[in-house]
Amino acid sequence: MGTTASQLAKDSLSEYQELTFLTKQEILLAHRRFTELLDRDERNHPNPRVPMEVILTLPELKSNPFKTRICQVFSTSEDKDGSLTFEDFLDLLSAFSDSATLEIKSHYAFRIFDFDDDGTLDCGDLEKLVNCLTGETEDTRLSSEEMRQLISNILDESDIDKDGTVNLSEFQHVISRSPDFVSSFKIVL
Amino acid sequence: MVLSKNRLVVSCPTEEQILIKELVALSTTEQIRKIRALPVSFEEKKHVRLVEKIFLKICHWSVFPLYLNFIQKCNRDVYLCVLLCCLLLLQLIRRFGYSIKSISQSLQLWRGIMKEIGGKFGSSVLNYFVLLKWLLLFNIFSFLVNFGFITIPLLVSDLSPNVSPNVSFRGLELLTGAGYFNYTVMYYGSYSNETFRGLVDYDMQLAYFFTISVYMVLCGLVLIFSMASSFKKNYALADSASNSAWQLLCSWDFSITNEKAVNQRKNNLRIQLKESLSEKAHRERQTTSEQLKQYGIYFGFWLLSTGLAVGCGASIFYLCQYENEVRKSTHCCRNPEAETLLVPFVVSLMNMVIPLFFSLFNKFEHYSSQRRQIYALLFRNVLLRLSILGVLCYYWMNTVPQKFTCWEPVVGQALYRLVIVDFIFLMLGSLFGEFLSNVIGTKIQPRLGVPEFDVARNVLEIIYAQTLAWIGIYFSPLLPVIQILKFFILFYLKKVSLIHNCQPPRRSGRAAQMKTIFIFLLFIPFFVGALSIVAYTAWSLTPSEHCGPFRGLNNTFSVTGEWIDDVNKLSSTQWVVWIYQNVIKSEIFYFLITLIILVIIYIFWQLIQGRKELIVLLRKQIVNVGSNCPPE
Repeated sequence: MGTTASQLAKDSLSEYQELTFLTKQEILLAHRRFTELLDRDERNHPNPRVPMEVILTLPELKSNPFKTRICQVFSTSEDKDGSLTFEDFLDLLSAFSDSATLEIKSHYAFRIFDFDDDGTLDCGDLEKLVNCLTGETEDTRLSSEEMRQLISNILDESDIDKDGTVNLSEFQHVISRSPDFVSSFKIVL
Repeated sequence: MVLSKNRLVVSCPTEEQILIKELVALSTTEQIRKIRALPVSFEEKKHVRLVEKIFLKICHWSVFPLYLNFIQKCNRDVYLCVLLCCLLLLQLIRRFGYSIKSISQSLQLWRGIMKEIGGKFGSSVLNYFVLLKWLLLFNIFSFLVNFGFITIPLLVSDLSPNVSPNVSFRGLELLTGAGYFNYTVMYYGSYSNETFRGLVDYDMQLAYFFTISVYMVLCGLVLIFSMASSFKKNYALADSASNSAWQLLCSWDFSITNEKAVNQRKNNLRIQLKESLSEKAHRERQTTSEQLKQYGIYFGFWLLSTGLAVGCGASIFYLCQYENEVRKSTHCCRNPEAETLLVPFVVSLMNMVIPLFFSLFNKFEHYSSQRRQIYALLFRNVLLRLSILGVLCYYWMNTVPQKFTCWEPVVGQALYRLVIVDFIFLMLGSLFGEFLSNVIGTKIQPRLGVPEFDVARNVLEIIYAQTLAWIGIYFSPLLPVIQILKFFILFYLKKVSLIHNCQPPRRSGRAAQMKTIFIFLLFIPFFVGALSIVAYTAWSLTPSEHCGPFRGLNNTFSVTGEWIDDVNKLSSTQWVVWIYQNVIKSEIFYFLITLIILVIIYIFWQLIQGRKELIVLLRKQIVNVGSNCPPE
């Protein structure tokens, strides 16, 4: 069930309200912003899919260090190119909304941080995570010695079963002890 | 559910069946909630819901013959009608709940501004504005309640206060609160103590007493609940190792949209990560003599700050005495009303200048962690404000009732003046604190840089302002109006000042813990202090003889005694009298309650200790299981 023309059908609106954490106002606002991203001819398409580059022009995502990973995680396209339909977009907003539960947020945070999509956070993922958040250029990166030390500290703290990687439950365990996570894992249109 | 590649796939059909069976057993609202919380894509959720609906229909169809059988036994039409109505009603309620939720969200005050501030400056600065909005709501509620239950009945009846003919409105009343305002419904003195006979017998005494006490009790309950929930979320479950790398990485603020702010955050995060690495790698070993010197410095500065706070309190006390003598003396000053502004002026000046000294002390004492630094600064500021407020309250409770015949309005006016002058000084403080610092930091002394928004100091200022309002509600029921205007203007002023003059904070994280501390501070010293002042006034002090709703009584609380006597006359409400005499007035009851609560606290404490040991054991078990299982 897609969006025909520029109006949301009433029963699809109530279905969206039931299955996401968003309120009616937020869903309508998301619909408006999504249709603005479409070309004129795409708007009459029953289930338009917006490519990643266009999604990343949204001001809320433009400066986010994880913008590509976010699009890839929420995308349901077969080619895994990060393109989003309206329902994927609602999924994204719902996971990042105020009322989403801690389990949903930590689940999606885990998938966003899992850069190689193998289901665990190993050293490569952690290194990419730290680089994403500290800066990409040569003079702003941490040195390799510092990086090694940092990753070993992280694994010390969160790797409970000592297998060298952080899996979903260990990640959720760390997140549950970090009270700032819920209020910072938020994107509002 | 298996985590694979890009999508979470409900791979085995049996797992989906298990999920559906689980869902069918729940009520519709629970079902919706559970499906919403599934970490799968939208299409999958739709699929699950559809399957579950079909399954339900099959369930219903299979028990339909049983339904029919049951219906045939009762009156069929009535039963079907009732069933349909119930189902429709449930659906309507659910739809209604959704629309209430969206309406309440759209009515949220200042939502756009908060989002902008949160996006640029992060959640620690946003905490200040959230607290300001919350306190504004308290005041709006207080105004509505006071105006509706106390002021409107007075205005509607014929007993509205008369203004004596030789007093006219001059501009000075806005600052001093005396003069013309003294004869309006602003203060306690203008309220009558009669019972209005009309459609309903409306007793002004009871109305005044119960309105104020119910409002204070409600405030206390709201504060206790929010403090407890905030404590549970942010303290009890939080990690003690606050500087750990994971905490820093996981609290990346996704709501920041400004490119420059994001780059700044990345810089700050890198610095913090490096700091946390070096803290772990080299732990400072101080020699004993260095440690002694450090403790000596701490002791000296603490002595100095306590001395400053106590000294301020004492000087305010002497100032009040001096003002009193000046008023009594026959050669009076040129403008007696303007002289009353002296005490509020000095109080606000102290509240603005002394915390700067405390920040200066902080720079000389090198605290080992930033958390201790913030706590020390907060404690000293709270001590200063409490000592000044304490001295003022002592003066109002002890000296003022003896010197004036109509003493409650005098206290009300003093509080009004404090509130107004505090507001003026808050505006000036914003000017000096932020605007001038920005000018100095960018143009004159570029090394200092753009100032940060000092969240702790600002929050303490609004907590103090709210305490003044809480103390003043009893003496001046319409003081919340001034407070509403004050907070409203302050919000916009601080927002403009923040955006033009300040930069985002350098150290990120711990916004949630600071929020808990702020709510705790709001409640324990300040609200409880205000409540005790009002309770002491109502319990022990004699109301003035010739004005106000409690004139002629021994103390305010005896109003309830008279009411209970009236209630006693009706036989249907004897239980109220029984509750009053055996529960509220008896000491045994409170003793038993305290004992029971202490025992419960002890039991919970032992439970917590047991749980902590269990966690340690479980961790060891996980490590053992992991090492025992052969790798696949």
